[in-house]
Amino acid sequence: MVKEIERAGLPVVHVCTIVPISLTVGANRIVPAIAIPHPLGDPTKPFEEEKAIRRHLVEKALKALQTPVTEQTVFND
Amino acid sequence: MKLELHKVKVSKLAWGDKTAVRDGVLFVNKEELVSMLSEDERLAKVDVELAMPGESVRILPVKDVIEPRCKIEGKGGIFPGMVSDVETVGEGKTLVLEGAAVVTTGKIVRFQEGIIDMSGPGADYCPYSQTNNVVLLLDPVVDLEKHDHEAACRLAGLKTAAYLAECCRDCEPDRVDVYETLSFRESMHAYPDLPKVAYLYMLQSQGLLHDTWVYGVDAKKSLPTLISPTEVMDGAIVSGNCVSACDKNNTYVHLNNPIINSMYEHHGKDFNFVGCIITNENVTLADKKRSSSYSIKLASMMGLDGLLISEEGFGNPDADLIMNCWKAERAGMKTTLLTDEYAGQDGASQSLADSCPEGDACVTAGNANEVITLPPMEKVLGYPDEANIIAGGWDGSLASDGTITVELQAIIGSTCELGFTKLGAYTI
Repeated sequence: MVKEIERAGLPVVHVCTIVPISLTVGANRIVPAIAIPHPLGDPTKPFEEEKAIRRHLVEKALKALQTPVTEQTVFND
Repeated sequence: MKLELHKVKVSKLAWGDKTAVRDGVLFVNKEELVSMLSEDERLAKVDVELAMPGESVRILPVKDVIEPRCKIEGKGGIFPGMVSDVETVGEGKTLVLEGAAVVTTGKIVRFQEGIIDMSGPGADYCPYSQTNNVVLLLDPVVDLEKHDHEAACRLAGLKTAAYLAECCRDCEPDRVDVYETLSFRESMHAYPDLPKVAYLYMLQSQGLLHDTWVYGVDAKKSLPTLISPTEVMDGAIVSGNCVSACDKNNTYVHLNNPIINSMYEHHGKDFNFVGCIITNENVTLADKKRSSSYSIKLASMMGLDGLLISEEGFGNPDADLIMNCWKAERAGMKTTLLTDEYAGQDGASQSLADSCPEGDACVTAGNANEVITLPPMEKVLGYPDEANIIAGGWDGSLASDGTITVELQAIIGSTCELGFTKLGAYTI
């Protein structure tokens, strides 16, 4: 899906837990996520902390979307 | 470590007043068995049925399959940390009821249980169509939490397997197989002209009821470690897995791991089989990196020339498999990978979620997405409607006449990544 949307001309950020798979598949902008059962949050944390984790991930993904890249790039903290 | 497997052949099952084997027939005292299993307060209803090869019988939803075994000499007891104390096993003598199996059933995760057909085209794809099956029908009490339900079914299966074998512990074996693993001090000097090879045994450990237990320890909570192959034969590794039926390693396959058996056969001839490393398949990238690095570090410490790596399950565990592969290859060890494929119903899609150039020796157990039609059976043990929600099935898989159309994914053990399958193919 990542590749097809990019082929249509729209930049994509792939937020995913297992970065090596994303690299193999060919995503260009990759934001590492938390864990496979809960990629965008961490239910083991208190609510406020979890909310901060979620916001951080979304903001990082939005920033990645606006960052020009020339090769496959993983956006680590 | 030396273990003798005393194999008592079972070619038929029957009900009897006393649980015992006579002339190849395993007689089962149903009342005694049901009474023992009913002691578990988590189970509302327990029933036991028998299913034998060639019968027009379908079993679903199947959770696990276990071979009846018990220790008759040596330290510890069968399934340590589960139904026996946590003493180390793998030495002495173990009785095996070869040809018999315990099959546990129940609606646990529902889409992650499987089908066994005892005859017809589905039987060709299922190794447990050839075993004489003592089938446990286990219904939980109302509102039992899923993990407790899984644990109750797992223990019922293990207890039954131990009970059946224990009742036959004085039987004369039809065959005795002997397996021995030397200490590192000895094995490192044995066969100096042969390459040193070990087995990297990946265990499903993703949580959410995808769990494997080692001496009662949840595999996800352990770093990779060493295990003697004979410990595995004594039930040190137990499946607690509710995951796609075709390529989860049932407890039966752990006990009879064909890779371990084959490596023993080639030991001293083609290579020096020096040991076995177990590792996990966890759900964070850090865990995957840590476990693969640690496994390959252990392999390097053993001074290996080659490593045989088997996967359990599919999807993100493909990433664990691939990390294990390239880390070993880059550390100077040759690897062979054992896996299966999810290449779509037409076989045209990418087979694995991940790959690497170093993975140039790979054995596949087949395409789990291949569709098969299973004709109706005269008798169904369990709940046939589950075919509509089982992984590999879809809404409408079960036809009104009892025919089931599903992907091989739904059949227990059909693409077993340990090679415990009946079908093979050659590339021409």
